[in-house]
Amino acid sequence: MTQVQTRAPRDAQRPPREVRPHGRTPLYRRERPLWMLLPGGVLMLVVIVVPLLVGVYIAMLDLDQYTLRQWFSAPFVGLANFVEAFTDSPLLHSVWISVSLSVLVTAATVPIGVAAAISTQNRFPGRGLVRSVYLVPYVLPAFVVGTFFRTMLQPQGVVNTVFGTDVLWLNGSASYWALAGVMVWTSWPFVYLLSLAGLQAVDGEVHEAAALDGVTWWAKLRYIVFPYLRGPLSLAVIISILHNINNFTLPFVLFGIPLPSSVEVMPVLTYIASFQSFRFGLSAAMAICSLVIVAIPLFVYLRAVKLDTGDDAGPTRKQRRADLATLAAPAAADIEGARA
Amino acid sequence: MSTGRRRTRALVGAAVVAVAALTLQGCAVVDGSGDDPDTLRVMMAADTTYPKERKQWQQETAAEFKRTTGADIQWETYSSPQEELTAIQTSVISGQGPDVYAIGTTFTPTAYATGAFVEMGSDQWRAVGGKDQFDAASLGISGPSASKQIGIPFASRPFVMAVNTELLAQAGITELPTTWDALTADADATTRDGHFGMAVAYADGFDPWKFVWGMAENAGNTIVDGSKAEISADAVENAYRTYFDWVTKDGVVDPAAIGWNNAQALAQFADGKAAFFPMTTTTSLNTLKGSAVDGKYQYALLPTVPPRATERPADGIEAASILSGDNLVVADYGTKQDLSFDFVQQVSSPAAQERYFELFGQLPTNTEAAQTIARENPDLAPIVQAGKLSKPTAFTGAWSDIQLSLVDVVVQSIPSLKSGEVTDDQLRKRLAAAQRDAQATLDRQKNGGL
Repeated sequence: MTQVQTRAPRDAQRPPREVRPHGRTPLYRRERPLWMLLPGGVLMLVVIVVPLLVGVYIAMLDLDQYTLRQWFSAPFVGLANFVEAFTDSPLLHSVWISVSLSVLVTAATVPIGVAAAISTQNRFPGRGLVRSVYLVPYVLPAFVVGTFFRTMLQPQGVVNTVFGTDVLWLNGSASYWALAGVMVWTSWPFVYLLSLAGLQAVDGEVHEAAALDGVTWWAKLRYIVFPYLRGPLSLAVIISILHNINNFTLPFVLFGIPLPSSVEVMPVLTYIASFQSFRFGLSAAMAICSLVIVAIPLFVYLRAVKLDTGDDAGPTRKQRRADLATLAAPAAADIEGARA
Repeated sequence: MSTGRRRTRALVGAAVVAVAALTLQGCAVVDGSGDDPDTLRVMMAADTTYPKERKQWQQETAAEFKRTTGADIQWETYSSPQEELTAIQTSVISGQGPDVYAIGTTFTPTAYATGAFVEMGSDQWRAVGGKDQFDAASLGISGPSASKQIGIPFASRPFVMAVNTELLAQAGITELPTTWDALTADADATTRDGHFGMAVAYADGFDPWKFVWGMAENAGNTIVDGSKAEISADAVENAYRTYFDWVTKDGVVDPAAIGWNNAQALAQFADGKAAFFPMTTTTSLNTLKGSAVDGKYQYALLPTVPPRATERPADGIEAASILSGDNLVVADYGTKQDLSFDFVQQVSSPAAQERYFELFGQLPTNTEAAQTIARENPDLAPIVQAGKLSKPTAFTGAWSDIQLSLVDVVVQSIPSLKSGEVTDDQLRKRLAAAQRDAQATLDRQKNGGL
């Protein structure tokens, strides 16, 4: 009774409850058994955090073949390896090469992957075979693809013979485009796969409704298919960028060591510092720099899908209805236009 | 029980089994025979040229080892120098791993720098059957000095050139060239009718530095003098100029060779399309057997008089090849050093060394076995002679980086090679960059580079 009497005034004094955008309670306020995350947390600590910290520590050591054996007592050099990486090594050049290649390849693979997914969306005889063939570049091991293209791109190889050209693909400025081309060839099926997954999510009734309403193919694509692909494609773009920045095998197999300067990508540069020059401290510093670079698009993505906040990413049902209404409006206008 | 729940349980069960299997497999890979006192772990390079023979040799060697010591051998392989270093690196840090490594001669200085291998004193040499049993030249890259050695010579692969005797006869050449200029002239004389004078692999990761090193040594430049790099010297520039001119100016090399590795250059020679194939070893025997040049070729010493000279200068070095082959090193972290020395003694014996030559074509480092093979195979006399005239590369832990700088000069020049000219200015700029990189590496050395 007393509780009832005292609760009323307390409630009255309490500030109006914050209305969350999605009507949800933040994760940390929900009464959930967070201790159950402990095993995962410990695993993450052991598998990710500890090696990362060791890597940071190594980046501050003058660790090479002379000090490898007692690596923990190698001379501590502070940030000298980072300074050397930025001022006295080709790191910045390799960052430019890796990032530009990655963006270029991703930009090229998205339309190819989406087009391939759409081409196999409708049933036709042999669709399964076509879908399987589309996946061949993706399932082949990268070193096999590298060896295969290395042979074809020789000065007197198949590519120059077929196209009647005399281009030096594996050295000089053309090697950049050769690498970009091979990377596109190997990575478009990934975009295709995710696009296909997105297309599978389109409700059959929506297609039927659009067909009944006589929607043009472009309107259907623009207002029904593409909105469904937005999520999977965002994921494909972010993973492609990360994968392409970290691509080691293809440039390594295609060009060997030392690399022509036009394809001096970050992973191979780090590898050379480690396993050719035995500068383990310097290579760790380079690896950390590349980690930061890779983290930028990852951070953008996490923000975009709100995975780094306590909120769930998905919109509420009400919001989804509002989104659909927005989507449907131009489609309806198109349909009206078509009827008129 | 519902189908869904049953399926979930089956999946969980499969996952547990998979994880357990992977864990056990992981344990097997990590532990290996490391703790078994009766199993010796030996690591060697994977043999892609003679895989069947390699397996046979391993079986024979293990059986003999079992008979004499009662212990087993567990063979482990690496497929690249990088993998070799990774294995050594892991073992050095963890203090466990293979007991004996067969490493390339040019990698010995790096291995020495890690300080993880047994330095051979008189007791250790005695344990492997004596230091005297080895050819003196083969000990040239076992350590920084005669008293500080870790490498026990195991196999010798001196570099020579293969010569198409038929093409030389057609061109009226009766004497083999002994100077680099004579080689260029003979190559020019044999370049005709779709044949080229020389098969050279400009895009190989190793060949270019061996050519440049050899020509520079002949001129008296050892690339590294103590702690000083000498890449921007005239002798090295002349070496690169000669090497580049073969394809740009002299036209004695197929223009396509700017994209070739050693195997592709060998293939051209094996097709009978090139008169000379400089920079090869006896490992080419297998490819040449049954090829278009079978019975029409011979091996010969590489020239030892530098470019632009008719005789070797007073300070020039008669280096016919880098000291090439394999050394055995014994890990000092292991508890099976006696067993390791027993193994080394077994594979160093004349009979074992002759058998190794028989299977792989690699020359013995054991003096007695080398004499027997030279006597029984007069055709191989030039190779035996090349072994005697082999000179070690600089014994410094920085050599790997210096070698990379030398190759990089060629890699970055390939577009110019294709356009038909590497200008003096371009070459000097690249040599200056290589000199800077090499000197920086030498300056970073600790313990005097050892």
